[in-house]
Amino acid sequence: MGKTSLIQRYINSLFNDKYHTTVGVKVDKKMVSVDGQDLMLMIWDIAGEDAFTQIKPAYLRGMSACIVVIDGTRRNSFDVALSVHEMVRQQLGELPTVFALNKADLKGEWALGEEQIRTLAQLGHPILETSAKLGQGVGEMFMALARRLC
Amino acid sequence: MTTLLEQTCASLDMVVFTHVGSGLFRPESVLPEWMLGLLGAQHGTDAYDLVDAFPFLSCFMDEARTRWQQGLSHPVRSGSWVEAGLPGSEVPLEASALFVDGQEVLILQQLGEKYRAEVALLQHVRDGLLNQEFLEAEVRKRTGEIRQREEDIALKLISLTSFRDQETGAHVRRIGLYAAAMARALDWSEAEVDNIRIAAPMHDIGKIGIPDNILLKPGALNEDEFEIIKQHARIGAEMLFGTDIPVLEMAAGIAWCHHERWDGSGYPRGLAGEQIPVAARITTIVDIYDALVHERVYKKAFDEAEAVAIMKGLSGKNLDPGLLKVFLYLLPVMRRIKDEVREEEDSPRPVAFETGRN
Repeated sequence: MGKTSLIQRYINSLFNDKYHTTVGVKVDKKMVSVDGQDLMLMIWDIAGEDAFTQIKPAYLRGMSACIVVIDGTRRNSFDVALSVHEMVRQQLGELPTVFALNKADLKGEWALGEEQIRTLAQLGHPILETSAKLGQGVGEMFMALARRLC
Repeated sequence: MTTLLEQTCASLDMVVFTHVGSGLFRPESVLPEWMLGLLGAQHGTDAYDLVDAFPFLSCFMDEARTRWQQGLSHPVRSGSWVEAGLPGSEVPLEASALFVDGQEVLILQQLGEKYRAEVALLQHVRDGLLNQEFLEAEVRKRTGEIRQREEDIALKLISLTSFRDQETGAHVRRIGLYAAAMARALDWSEAEVDNIRIAAPMHDIGKIGIPDNILLKPGALNEDEFEIIKQHARIGAEMLFGTDIPVLEMAAGIAWCHHERWDGSGYPRGLAGEQIPVAARITTIVDIYDALVHERVYKKAFDEAEAVAIMKGLSGKNLDPGLLKVFLYLLPVMRRIKDEVREEEDSPRPVAFETGRN
């Protein structure tokens, strides 16, 4: 939860506190400049997995990099994120990836423990704390990924 | 026929394309307003590179090509996706591929209300789940707070006896941790594991009711004195019984029965075997282990092998043989607890306690 909010914050500098579910895929674009080189990011906001929806493997075709968003306040978000990352890894191999520990503005209420963060760290990808509400870490997260694509 | 197709497409808010090769598609119906903006610079040409205009289609084209090669007129659908339209607006779309009359057909449909209804339904369901998740988290948090309070109260109770007998804070913590390890190995629920971790250290709480001249007597006790000290089991139970708090109920059972013996020769009631509550049988084992492997004023610390040999000698007499096997299986865990929870880590002992001993 929070993927769409992070993208909205990044693309449109907007934040809405209300949760809006995503169905299917939302496609957005943003032109960025990395070390003087222009790069068009095609950002696919893929609906998360739960009892009602599963990510279609076809959605992952052609993916160059991914951001796996973990809602720090929700216990099972970590497990879902790991399983999504594994799905990506199996289908496309090791891609540039960033783990976003989202809702950093609610860090006092995080259900995420040290052990889980250590588990993530062992996967060898950057981990960033983000907050779509505050804008914390959002631009940095996309730029970190963009740099790895150049 | 063309008019019929036009009207049908307009009514369903869809565009029918035929594949003309090289990834280009020719519209067979009028392009609606919403599509013109999405086609961007391509607008006005005869055939469109739809994958370029709608990158989402790149992950659908393999399925579409398969359908066309199979020559099947039954459509395969892409699933919905959303394009950002005019600023602030979203265009929900779905593609379908089918083979009709020798033509490779691709249909793009604006889902409009159908999509919004699906989103609204899912939103409703997920809001409900989120609310439930929030409530569950709140219950967990509150339960945790109550458990913490119970544990704090228990530790305060235990500290009362620490002022008067020789047991240390580290011993108290170890007893709880050993007992919890046993309970976990026996597949107890997490709540029960927590209960015994808190309850087992209270086993000697009744010593608070034993006079100093007996409790703190340095030498051996005579028969009368021993009869008095035996009362600590009953006193502890009476202190702890009578609440509806599961951890205190368990603690009461442990206090009452931790000097009972498996063969029935213990006190205060001479219970035997499984008449003795399992929590008490566990506490007896771990209390003996901890006493054996640590130094006391009246004895040296035994090494682990000696302690195990002594405990094996008590199997079926003082100790439940089945539980002792579990304990011995867990010996590496117990050793780790023994090594990690040491006396040096204790907070400074109260002066009154030290004075009392002297």
